[in-house]
Amino acid sequence: MRAAPPPPSVAAMTTRTALITGASRGLGRALAAGLAREGYALIIDARDGTALGAAAAQITAAAQITAGAQITAGAPGAAVTAVPGDVTDPAHRAALRQAAAAAGGLDLLVNNAGTLGASPLPALADYPLAELRAAFEVNVVAPLALTQLLLPMLRERGGAVLNITSDAAVEAYAGWGGYGAAKAALEQASNVLAAEEVAIRVWWVDPGDLRTDMHQRAFPGQDISDRPLPESVLPAFVRLVTDRLPNGRYRAAHLLPPRP
Amino acid sequence: MTVEFALPAALEAHEPPEARGVARDGVRMLVSRRRSGEISQHAFRDLPGLLLPGDLLVVNDTATLPARVRVPGGKLAVHFSTPLPDGAWLVELRRAQGKAFMPNGRGFPGQVIGLPAGASLTLERRATGRLWRARLSVAVLPYLLRHGVPIRYSHVPREWPLAHYQTVFATRPGSAEMPSASRPFTAGVVTALAARGVLISPVTLHAGVSSLEAGEDPYPEPYDVPPATARLVNHARAHGGRVIAAGTTVVRALETAARPDGSVRPAAGWTSHVVTPATGVRAVDGLLTGLHEPRSSHLRMLAAFADGELLGRCYRAAIGSGYLWHEFGDVHLLLP
Repeated sequence: MRAAPPPPSVAAMTTRTALITGASRGLGRALAAGLAREGYALIIDARDGTALGAAAAQITAAAQITAGAQITAGAPGAAVTAVPGDVTDPAHRAALRQAAAAAGGLDLLVNNAGTLGASPLPALADYPLAELRAAFEVNVVAPLALTQLLLPMLRERGGAVLNITSDAAVEAYAGWGGYGAAKAALEQASNVLAAEEVAIRVWWVDPGDLRTDMHQRAFPGQDISDRPLPESVLPAFVRLVTDRLPNGRYRAAHLLPPRP
Repeated sequence: MTVEFALPAALEAHEPPEARGVARDGVRMLVSRRRSGEISQHAFRDLPGLLLPGDLLVVNDTATLPARVRVPGGKLAVHFSTPLPDGAWLVELRRAQGKAFMPNGRGFPGQVIGLPAGASLTLERRATGRLWRARLSVAVLPYLLRHGVPIRYSHVPREWPLAHYQTVFATRPGSAEMPSASRPFTAGVVTALAARGVLISPVTLHAGVSSLEAGEDPYPEPYDVPPATARLVNHARAHGGRVIAAGTTVVRALETAARPDGSVRPAAGWTSHVVTPATGVRAVDGLLTGLHEPRSSHLRMLAAFADGELLGRCYRAAIGSGYLWHEFGDVHLLLP
């Protein structure tokens, strides 16, 4: 063999690393905890450093408890690296890349951090354009920028990009035009990325309505306790990631195992 | 160990079988059986009857790229072979000679080659005797889809549309050349296999250019053995089924992912594993493949499936019966 890329090492294949943005609460925190239980080493970010630190401590503790039997069997413990910052900040994205390099590479990038945009949700007729730009910055430009930075590492391991989207990207919900247009852009960017990248998986997943702070912001003052907790869709994400399903758009509900 | 023979020029397939009035699944298939030493001759579309319910056929779902780009105003062409993790590609420079493009030994590190539509290719350094590590100024896949044509060698005198270079399983673009063992499959053959109870499952291996020097090892290629396929391989073998690889690319991917005990784990990345009689095959029982050139690395792989005596008889039979070689030619099924 005289060409450049080294074959993936056995160690690299067994200790998998995932980077999850927006992991201090809601779906991001649930995904981080779920992937930690699957044996992933984690790099997580969020703007609120205190909340992120608390999430990291909680994930580490929970993973050690639930994975106790595996630890004795030699599975890696839950290594969690918390990197506080804003995904729209290039310096922060560079720090995330640094953390991935320090972890020896990356198998999975979860672009989960997102913003609802203006709340309460305005009609497009009145949508404040500065808020619209900000929503595109967080929901489209930042995930793509982070993906660009991490692609070489992801390609190296045949890794995957998982972008969190919403049914608002494909349905016409009044008031959801700003968020929905940004998520539609993220979906199409994912779709094209999947066509351009030969060595990685690209998924974009609608998790469904969940009981999260973001969902509460969309329905201020309303009781959303009938919505399922983010943990309820974890098996769908675990299946997608561990089975490395083909590229494409998925709805979490369709990936859940049949009821016993 | 290796089979020595001279390939008569009359046995090169110069065009797709459809252009010779033969259906895709109507090409000929030589079948050899390792245990009994039997050799028999069939049409490819007889494949379902030659396999058994519970056998697993593993196919490559890579799609062929139009991977050749002509350098404007000159005799050079660039063959894009293999993507590398950092976005660079392995490329081969070829020079027009009559109707074909032959290897071109020139090129120097740092050389910038202008390509159509204002794109430029920078040669970084030599990766092998023929291949350069190079970087295109724009994204490679969209560029090739717009400006490239399928790679062909001197035995194919004219250009054919890309569709002639796609298999029925092609879903993930990334190969410089067609995984040609799967070319004869049609929807009808796949349906007959399903009705027979033969399982089919995909792997991905993006094949680079095949223009290796005699005796040269293949270089690393991107591959992907997905978990569902790994599970099916293990399931089939645990229940007495045989794992049949449709093409040498599939053998390379599965053997990369095989553990010493022959079970297969999900794996992806770049593989530099080369299957030879010395490495043997651990996870694959049979191989559907084309007819290969003397002293090629593919022939060494075949020798892991059948001993030299049987392979020698196979190749004498293929030559004696007028089988056709190369990507548009006939095929050979090596069964246990």
